[in-house]
Amino acid sequence: MNYKLLHIFRNTPFGRETFLQSLYFCKTINAFPVVYIPQSDKFLMYFSNDAVQVDLDNSYLNAPESAKEHADDLFEKAGIKPMYYTPKNFTASTLPDISTQFDYLCCPRSVSDISSKIGLGHLGPKVRRIIKHATFPVLITSPVFKPWKSISVFFGGSKNALNALKLGLKIAMASGFKLDIYTLLENKSEKQYRELAKKEGLENAISQLSNKWHFYKKPEFETMLYDVPHNSLIVLGAYGHGVIKDILLGSKMEQIQSTIFNNLLVSGPYCSIELS
Amino acid sequence: MSFIKHWYKTFYQRVFHLDDRLLLIIAGSLAGICSGLAAVALRLSLETMLEFLHPLRHYWWAFVLPAIGAVLSSFYLEKIAREGAGHGVPEVIYSVSRYGGLLRFRSSYSRLVSSFLTISSGGSAGPEAPVVMSGSSIGSNIAKVIGLNDRQRITLVGCGTAGAIASIFNAPIAGLVFAVEVILGEWKFVSIIPIAIAAVAGAQVSQAIIPEQVLFYHHPFQVGFYDVIACLALAVFAALISVFFTKVLRQSGQLAKKSSFPLWGRAIVGGCSVGLIAMFMPVVLGEGYHFIQSMISGTFSMGILFTFMAVFAKIIATALTLGWGGSGGIFAPCLLIGSLTGIVFHKVLLLFFPEIGVATEGAYALFGMTALISGVMQAPLTGIFLIVEITGGYETILPLIVVSSISSTMSHYIEPASFYFKELIERGQFLRPGTDAKILSDLNISELIETEYTCVSENMVFREFIGIIKTSNQNFYPVTEDHTDNYKGVIHIRAIQKYALDPGIHDMIFLNQIMQSNIQTASLENDLHEVLDMMDINNMDTLPVVENDRFLGMISKTRILDLYRRELIMQTSVH
Amino acid sequence: MELSVFDLSKHLGVTTSTIERWLRQGKLPVSLRGANIKFQVKELEMWASKHNLELKITQDPAPEIAQKPEISLSSAILNGGIYIDIPGHDTESALKESISKISAVPEEHKQGLLARLLEREAALSTGIGGGIAIPHPREQVAFLDNPVVSVCFLKNDVDYKALDHQPVSALFILLCPELKMHLKLLSSLSFCLKNQNFIQFLKDQPGEDNLVSKIDLLLKDNPLS
Repeated sequence: MNYKLLHIFRNTPFGRETFLQSLYFCKTINAFPVVYIPQSDKFLMYFSNDAVQVDLDNSYLNAPESAKEHADDLFEKAGIKPMYYTPKNFTASTLPDISTQFDYLCCPRSVSDISSKIGLGHLGPKVRRIIKHATFPVLITSPVFKPWKSISVFFGGSKNALNALKLGLKIAMASGFKLDIYTLLENKSEKQYRELAKKEGLENAISQLSNKWHFYKKPEFETMLYDVPHNSLIVLGAYGHGVIKDILLGSKMEQIQSTIFNNLLVSGPYCSIELS
Repeated sequence: MSFIKHWYKTFYQRVFHLDDRLLLIIAGSLAGICSGLAAVALRLSLETMLEFLHPLRHYWWAFVLPAIGAVLSSFYLEKIAREGAGHGVPEVIYSVSRYGGLLRFRSSYSRLVSSFLTISSGGSAGPEAPVVMSGSSIGSNIAKVIGLNDRQRITLVGCGTAGAIASIFNAPIAGLVFAVEVILGEWKFVSIIPIAIAAVAGAQVSQAIIPEQVLFYHHPFQVGFYDVIACLALAVFAALISVFFTKVLRQSGQLAKKSSFPLWGRAIVGGCSVGLIAMFMPVVLGEGYHFIQSMISGTFSMGILFTFMAVFAKIIATALTLGWGGSGGIFAPCLLIGSLTGIVFHKVLLLFFPEIGVATEGAYALFGMTALISGVMQAPLTGIFLIVEITGGYETILPLIVVSSISSTMSHYIEPASFYFKELIERGQFLRPGTDAKILSDLNISELIETEYTCVSENMVFREFIGIIKTSNQNFYPVTEDHTDNYKGVIHIRAIQKYALDPGIHDMIFLNQIMQSNIQTASLENDLHEVLDMMDINNMDTLPVVENDRFLGMISKTRILDLYRRELIMQTSVH
Repeated sequence: MELSVFDLSKHLGVTTSTIERWLRQGKLPVSLRGANIKFQVKELEMWASKHNLELKITQDPAPEIAQKPEISLSSAILNGGIYIDIPGHDTESALKESISKISAVPEEHKQGLLARLLEREAALSTGIGGGIAIPHPREQVAFLDNPVVSVCFLKNDVDYKALDHQPVSALFILLCPELKMHLKLLSSLSFCLKNQNFIQFLKDQPGEDNLVSKIDLLLKDNPLS
């Protein structure tokens, strides 16, 4: 299949780490990275029910004359044919519309804030909004390029988690890496979780592709996070609730993204993932 | 919690699902009220600020005031709101036609602030386009929150627009007509009702807060037969002025972009020039409602030459304000230029025919305004209803209709695209519902592509290929490389007939010797009109779609016609 | 009845992404939103009639033309049968005798069929050479249910005005209800008759079983079947 990953290029050492991650991801799952070198410090993405304006910080416009050269260079080293995205439509002259017809999007934890905020526990508001509305999964990279050798799916039983499970299986299929499923037992029993996956017709795929299904009791959340291998791609579904719910209940995704340094592949509530 | 959710769901489905008209009317009136409030807020704050700054106008350094306003305004738009500038109304039309009316939330307030800064400091611009932008964005965001589809969202954008115009001019019909004529571009029953109600809501909000009933008060005019005749000439004159105005506006924007000044530099240059013009002609300052009022009530006291110069001074000041960093609309400048034009015309008329029994200067100011609005926006209905409503002068409707239709026809003849549409047309993004461009932009290549094709290897012997032809009914065979599956070329059955009939060479040739490798290919990123152009240029009916060296399928004119027709039916069927 | 996006896309002949776009744009009535979008057929029909559209949902999506099972030459021969020692001294008498023997042809049609076969022969002889002829009518024979190939070995060689001017000793009378079968059988037959061994084999006037198995063996190599 012809999967495409959109990467917004940042011509800085930090941007290079992110880009290397994109390249590695694409190479592993046989996708094609498409690079957008920003010409202005903002762009718009029109999703089906929202228009998200992404404000980039100035480092994205850093040294525009060497940006393409650097990107070409990294492409060449990875042995991938360079592909660039040029926006066709403009909402305003300095506000290009970026297509949302991609299969993946790669971004660091924050696109619009100063680099000092790139740490754990901070996921930029724009990245959140993209995840919330995107029809594609978003690859959130670790701060430093880190090849992953296995896949870990956090499966909590919700619809989004099922999506994430499918996504994980898909990545496992494409990459050939082994897949581990992690489940925190909350209200349901082990059997019910397996039943859920079976209902979606994932039983065969799981038995073929996955290594082990780990179950943890509710208080063992931290243990579970520690047990996830450090060089593993974490696949999880973001729950699409609003701000108020976030504050009151917190979210598993927040906890995970603020505790773990791994690369995250997040599928939002509008992602639809087909296993085929 | 779950009970409420359940109740909400049932209620939602029972009431709104059966018929979305009710939903649209409720949401539309909400949009109308909100955008009405936004408009009233801008109008009141402008009035307060203008009054506050009024004493400062007498100082010699007052000419820098517009510059300060412009700098603040452009700084706010670019750095704080990060809007990516633009005039506003074209952006709304663009989003309505291409993205189902999706607008950013920040647009619902950013233009209000920036235009407040521009206009209150004396920049020559109007508050209408900003409130339209903000109203439509409010409508769009309400639709987003309720989770409506594109069609409904577009209606709500119209509702917001109508509410804003209705509120700022206290003119509900003009709001309705503007939303439908300029923003939506289609008259549909289901969208007009909510928009009308939103316009009423917007006007009510404005009346509740600002008690005065009519924006420009005047004594009834006596309009006679000669006036209708004179209006013909006035309309032609005003049409020329409006074309000139449009041209100057665009030129000035382009000039500013070409200049090497930084953002704030442009704003200073533009603002100071406006301030200097205003030293001699205070009529150019701000939105100019005050002067319009005096012209309509006949208390305007400038001489004929001076008034004539004022027309051009205002045009240049507006161009400098909007093109060089300020933010605002052209509605109010149009009204002012129009009434000045009308007065000049009236004075000239009296100069040559002193005996003639025509209406007063004020009436001609009205006619001039209508002519300018209709000419610049090429929206005749908006022009007529707006003027009738803001002046409460129904007795002038006959000449107004004449002026408006002639002026819009004239300016359309000289410059086929109106000010709002010109930019979109140039970018090929003027997509009105049911038009060819709209259908072509809606249909995506991935929807049209036929993927059921068997690929053949480039190293296949021709005899083997003939065996494949016998069992399948494809007309095209994509040829791929052996190991990589990369696309190499295409074999059209018609092109290989001569080889197929010669069994002697069946074992002699490989497929890569007979395939067409230089054939034009399309990719998923192409728009449909690009693909159709490729087909026309290369005189082909079918194109292979290739991306990243992978063959994805074929796209054919037959399939395009099929889906084009379905799309046309879907888009033009009465809702 | 409920339809999914996929079902509806099949009914309307568009892709699922088109249906999704129409939904997003609010052009279709939908009963259940969210991940599993469902359409109510009743609603769709009401909506379609309001908008004066033809939906044709109640019918099956584009019914495939029922494929009749392909008939092979050997089974057609089994339908038609083999007849030997047919008397006759010229085209007309040989054909007349043959037709009268063939049991697959109903009596009342025999006269008409003969006339049609002769008409075809008058236009261009069906004697393809090597002592073989394939008499067949130009139009298909509607009264038959199944294609029939009757093999008639003549008592005497007959001057059939064959293409190679050789006398003819065997007739493969080919009668089909449909053109498609006709072409298929004709092509299989001519493939067999190109084979010299097969022609020699026919000289011995083989029995039904022998002939059928020989033909099946030969046709295995036919790239067209």
